[in-house]
Amino acid sequence: MAEDRQLSNLHEGTTAGDVEDEVQPTAKSAEDRKAAAALSKLDTHGDDEGSARDVDQEAVKNAVDALGGKTADKKEVKKVKVDAADVNLIVEELELSKAKATELLKAHDGDAVKAMTAYITPAF
Amino acid sequence: MPQPLSTREANLFRTVIRHYEDKQYKRGLKAAEQILKKNPKHADTMSMKALIMNAQGKTDEAFALAKEALTIDMKSHICWHVYGILYRTNKNFDEAIKAYKFALKLEPDSQQIQRDLAILQIQMRDYQGYVQSRLVMLKARPQLRQNWTALAIAYHLEGNLKQAETILSTFEKSVTTAPSKTDFENSEAVLYKNSIIAEAGDIGRALEHLEADGNNNLDRLAVMELRARYLAQLGRGADAAKAYRALLDRNSEHPDYYKSLIEALGISKDDEDSQKAVYDEYAVKNPRSDAARRLPLDFLTDENFKVAARAYLNLMFDKGVPSTFANLKHLYSDSFKQTTLPALAEEYLNEHKSTGGEKEHANGDSSKGEGAALYFLAQHYNYFMSRDLTKAMAFVEKALELDPKNVDFHMTKARIYKHQGDLEKASVAMDEARSLDTRDRYINSKAAKYQLRNNENDRALQTMGLFTRVETAGGPLADLIDMQCIWYLTEDGEAWQRRGNVGLALKRYHTIFNIFDIWQEDQFDFHSFSLRKGQIRAYIDMVRWEDELREHPFFFRAALDAIKLYIAMHDKPQGPNGVNGTGGSGANGGDVAEKKKAAKKAKKEAQKAEREAAEKAAKQDPNKTTAPKSKDVEDVKKKDDDPTGLKLVATSDPLGDALKFLGPLLQFSPRNIEGQIAGFEVYFRRRKYMLALRCLKAALALDKDDPRVQEQAVRLRKAVDPVLASLAPKLQEVIGLTFASGASS
Repeated sequence: MAEDRQLSNLHEGTTAGDVEDEVQPTAKSAEDRKAAAALSKLDTHGDDEGSARDVDQEAVKNAVDALGGKTADKKEVKKVKVDAADVNLIVEELELSKAKATELLKAHDGDAVKAMTAYITPAF
Repeated sequence: MPQPLSTREANLFRTVIRHYEDKQYKRGLKAAEQILKKNPKHADTMSMKALIMNAQGKTDEAFALAKEALTIDMKSHICWHVYGILYRTNKNFDEAIKAYKFALKLEPDSQQIQRDLAILQIQMRDYQGYVQSRLVMLKARPQLRQNWTALAIAYHLEGNLKQAETILSTFEKSVTTAPSKTDFENSEAVLYKNSIIAEAGDIGRALEHLEADGNNNLDRLAVMELRARYLAQLGRGADAAKAYRALLDRNSEHPDYYKSLIEALGISKDDEDSQKAVYDEYAVKNPRSDAARRLPLDFLTDENFKVAARAYLNLMFDKGVPSTFANLKHLYSDSFKQTTLPALAEEYLNEHKSTGGEKEHANGDSSKGEGAALYFLAQHYNYFMSRDLTKAMAFVEKALELDPKNVDFHMTKARIYKHQGDLEKASVAMDEARSLDTRDRYINSKAAKYQLRNNENDRALQTMGLFTRVETAGGPLADLIDMQCIWYLTEDGEAWQRRGNVGLALKRYHTIFNIFDIWQEDQFDFHSFSLRKGQIRAYIDMVRWEDELREHPFFFRAALDAIKLYIAMHDKPQGPNGVNGTGGSGANGGDVAEKKKAAKKAKKEAQKAEREAAEKAAKQDPNKTTAPKSKDVEDVKKKDDDPTGLKLVATSDPLGDALKFLGPLLQFSPRNIEGQIAGFEVYFRRRKYMLALRCLKAALALDKDDPRVQEQAVRLRKAVDPVLASLAPKLQEVIGLTFASGASS
């Protein structure tokens, strides 16, 4: 229960407009306040700069810079031409969203018959 | 750009935000009004006002105001942020993501917006987006370990295991001082990295890593179990056996340890004696261990089984263990065991009687043994594989002679009545069992369930009410819904359906559907919470479990009930009062007037409950409410505008409504033929022949001999053939490929 409450507080905290970190809403009783304080102490574990002391700032910075390049290579998206009429047919007949229908068509090289046949064939 | 305010108003604006965070909504609104008096077109203030209104439950007005604020100031990140929050609190996560992205474009350095966006992305399983967000967050604050862990999680869930491992290692390398032995976060991170290596399939390296870094890990058990498993997977039998023995020394009741130990020792499955020897070793070491004595019954045969079973049964009966039958009934698939076990119980009974009170039992009380044996036999003859209800009743009566106040005996008696088909007697008997121990929630729930099976909804609710929180507004039912008591809601819905009250039945099924939605939304808080706590393995488990949430049998049952009901509603449209003859086939069929009366009564009761709830709420001092969920919003939303489900019944498109249940059913439980059969019926009636065919093909693959499936195939053929020529050519082609003439016969 207490955990529950703490969670929803965190959640509320993150909805805050501009303020940086969680603010505990006013507790309803002294006991609540105590519990909330104890819990928030538990949760702030590792969230403050305290744990940063042991980290080699320089090494971390370098490591982060090294990461930069790796994310640049995005997965190649298969280029398949898809007929809008086929998309509409699939949306209508298979009751899929337009995006899903397009995806299904692309996965079968834009061949509507192949796509629909595969879709209605059980995978087991 | 945010419009500038005077110093006084800028201060006021900050207090608005603070009041909002402290949930001082009225004060917040007041401050916002003050600003707006001087600057009526200040968009940021309007947005904040909308946010507060939303928190007070005025969702529609909040959206309208936020939209107005946006049209005034398209370039304010606060306005976009608020718009995102509004969408988010109303569970429209896709739109929320869009709004957040706009806000972030205007204010790229806002960690708050970035963090909220990241959480939304993982909630919606946009893994690529999550990776990007996490990367940005890491770059902003690389000194925090959890930012590194979070990026690793993002790569892990995206399926890029190698990159995930690299990220974790990179951080480890940049730590200058060795983490302390009690550093929980580090301990979890080590095991998380280990799980990634193992998931990538490199067991050898996973073992190496575990032995190098896992020695002082705080989760001893996980390290021991993982090590034993890796050793076994790598074929190092002797080492694995040693590891499993170490685990058995810790816990001699874990069946998997025994099985893995026997495998590691290289004992063949047919070698009963050697297997038994392993178990015996631990039975001697742990005189009170149950597993070491019970598990051999699974593989022993013939005389060996008889000897072991006799020893086990005697021990259990002497102790008077009531769960003996439940622990052994899985053996009944073997016909020899099925006949041997009751014979042994009879043998015990005879022995027991002949010796009378002379033979001293270990624990002195000899009546316990006889009762336990009689109870075992009663359950034996009540079990579906070995059913003889007359005998079952005779044994349970004998047991009751020995101990007339035994709850278990009475409970079994009620079950026998149920299997005899006498639901009324069963309900009475179960309630009698309940009266023998009014503090036991289990027997209380059983009694309520039996009342529901006998269509006594009101009495069942009363019974349940003995154990619900008294102070919940709305009475026991509201508390049961709050507590997400799904079994009750399902049984209640099915009982209403049998009674012909479609509205309340639908209401219950929809409530269950919503509970599963809540479970899915519940993970939202954990995306940040688990990270802060550093419990990553459990978090990953949870995320994967959430993805398969609706495969749960509870969901399946309620969804199937709802779909069948909707089909019945489609086939036989009813009057606006929601009462018709489409309720459960066969049960209490007929009397329309009675059903109308029942519905009327139900409606009245619901209204009464609502009134009472309103009164109760009015009585409570608003300042003293110990809000159960600490959200003021909840109380506002709690008012159900359709407590009897009349709006659900009034639907003009029951088949369309059924799709909501059918989609997840087919997606998560495709191998359940009942779902496929129901799916066919829905799609067939909607004339979506492709989708009907899909269900039919799946059902045929599951059980081609099911007569219902055969009938559906014929029906589809008859429906499709005459219209085939009028269908789109591509559809004709698909049908020709997959549903060739004659395939149905």
